[in-house]
Amino acid sequence: MTTSLPSDFWGRVLFILQRYGTSYLKGAGTTLLISIVSTIIGCIIGFGVGVVQYIPIDKRSPWYKRALLRVAKVIMKVYVEVFRGTPMMVQSMFIYYGASQLLGINMSMWFAAFFIVSINTGAYMAETVRGGILSVDIGQTEGALAVGMSPLRAMNYVLIPQALRNIMPQIGNNLIINIKDTCVLSVIGTVELFFSAKSVAGTYYTYFESMTIAMVLYLTMTIAASKLLRLWEKKMDGPATYDLATTDTLAFTSGLLNISTKRPANERPL
Amino acid sequence: MENILTVTHLQKDFGTHKVLRDIDFSVSKGDVVSIIGSSGSGKSTLLRCINLLETPTSGDILFHGASVLSSGIDVPSYRAKVGMVFQSFNLFDNMNVLENCMISPVKILKVPKAEARERAMHYLDRVGMASYINAKPRYLSGGQKQRVAIARALAIQPEILLFDEPTSALDPQMVGEVLQVIGKLAEEGRTMVIVTHEMTFARDVSSRVIFMDDGIICEEGTPQKIFTSPEKEPTKAFLERFWNR
Ligand SMILES: Nc1ncnc2c1ncn2[C@@H]1O[C@H](COP(=O)(O)OP(=O)(O)OP(=O)(O)O)[C@@H](O)[C@H]1O
Ligand SMILES: [Mg+2]
Repeated sequence: MTTSLPSDFWGRVLFILQRYGTSYLKGAGTTLLISIVSTIIGCIIGFGVGVVQYIPIDKRSPWYKRALLRVAKVIMKVYVEVFRGTPMMVQSMFIYYGASQLLGINMSMWFAAFFIVSINTGAYMAETVRGGILSVDIGQTEGALAVGMSPLRAMNYVLIPQALRNIMPQIGNNLIINIKDTCVLSVIGTVELFFSAKSVAGTYYTYFESMTIAMVLYLTMTIAASKLLRLWEKKMDGPATYDLATTDTLAFTSGLLNISTKRPANERPL
Repeated sequence: MENILTVTHLQKDFGTHKVLRDIDFSVSKGDVVSIIGSSGSGKSTLLRCINLLETPTSGDILFHGASVLSSGIDVPSYRAKVGMVFQSFNLFDNMNVLENCMISPVKILKVPKAEARERAMHYLDRVGMASYINAKPRYLSGGQKQRVAIARALAIQPEILLFDEPTSALDPQMVGEVLQVIGKLAEEGRTMVIVTHEMTFARDVSSRVIFMDDGIICEEGTPQKIFTSPEKEPTKAFLERFWNR
């Protein structure tokens, strides 16, 4: 190995990038893949758990249904408390080594990585989803029941879509946290961005330079993620104006083909 | 006339608070029943019991002679035969006007999409909201929201329509447009139960008026009787207070 390191900082950064650029990119790719997939799986888990936690125990339903629901709620409560209440780094090693020692399962590193981050996200999302559903006005549920929807359908067509929109910012937040926190997976040998950066740093003792590159890459990913999510939220909201087919004869709005929504709701066009 | 709804000995307690105490009344096809009474007398609770948003404590509710409180009943399909219009509109915020009126016909009543759309457009046109099909509820005025809510209730083609103070959440200048729509429905001979504080409206559109006081039906009769020659003291006092307001 010819170690003719440049003497200035930026020179060394460039040198590292030229030699190891692909391994940084691969690491960043792994980080992104794990965080995005795990955020999605975590949201699904979170919705499952959050919805079950939201379902009230109906005194009129048969006892075995009530018992089942109670048991499910307790298990999910324990799950949420355990995974929210312990550091992900410790969980990683606990699960990875525990699985092999206790159950004789040798998890692949990929599986372990997706598993740990998903289940962690799920624990956080469960509470968020429950809160998201609770934040939807009770009138929405009553409106849905009144047009003949079963509680399950009301949940499906009315509550969950609105809860999802309400918690989009938290989902975005979770994705950003995951992009950063996948770095703890380096303790079980997952070659994500931090692992890659540390390996390169160790080779030449260029910690500052290597971490500078890692910092820039992490920041790029998190900023891009939050911008994309913001765009998605906008898309969910739909256009801020709507087209009128003709006129509203009862409210005497004539001649206006496009009503701007900036106008207060109770003000009428002349 | 064919009997649609009968309420017998209906009681509803919230804890120790007896909100409805022994309510009896019935609605026949084509009836327009207005329920009036002071705040807290149990009018909303009665309507909510009728479509089972609240579970009655005792008594019975018969729909075409069959109890809707018996354990075997399919509550959602019963509710689909009883349209409800709320004081606070309760339009689905995640759907536009057309979707609001189509979701139940398509997903619950399994009406083919094209037909459901035609039906929704028909009722939206009736309430003067056909041109707003693409608007989300949050961009509509209160009066417009309530008219869409009425179209949504009509689109499930219920046998009876319940209105719980449909104009109480509206600014005064929007009350007229909603009452006009409900008035037209009454003229058509639709079966309706309307809880309202609009006395002139109740007098003009109802075939029967019920005055509720403290959880019971205090007096019941034709609009002429209730509004011009009420017999019971609480009715007189209530109307006196109302007209002198
Ligand atoms: N879920 C509930 N829990 C406890 N008490 C309730 C509940 N719903 C209603 N009540 C009580 O029942 C009584 C009757 O309420 P209700 O809403 O039926 O009155 P109302 O006649 O519709 O009055 P308003 O004209 O103000 O709408 C009130 O005293 C109210 O506080
Ligand atoms: Mg009320």
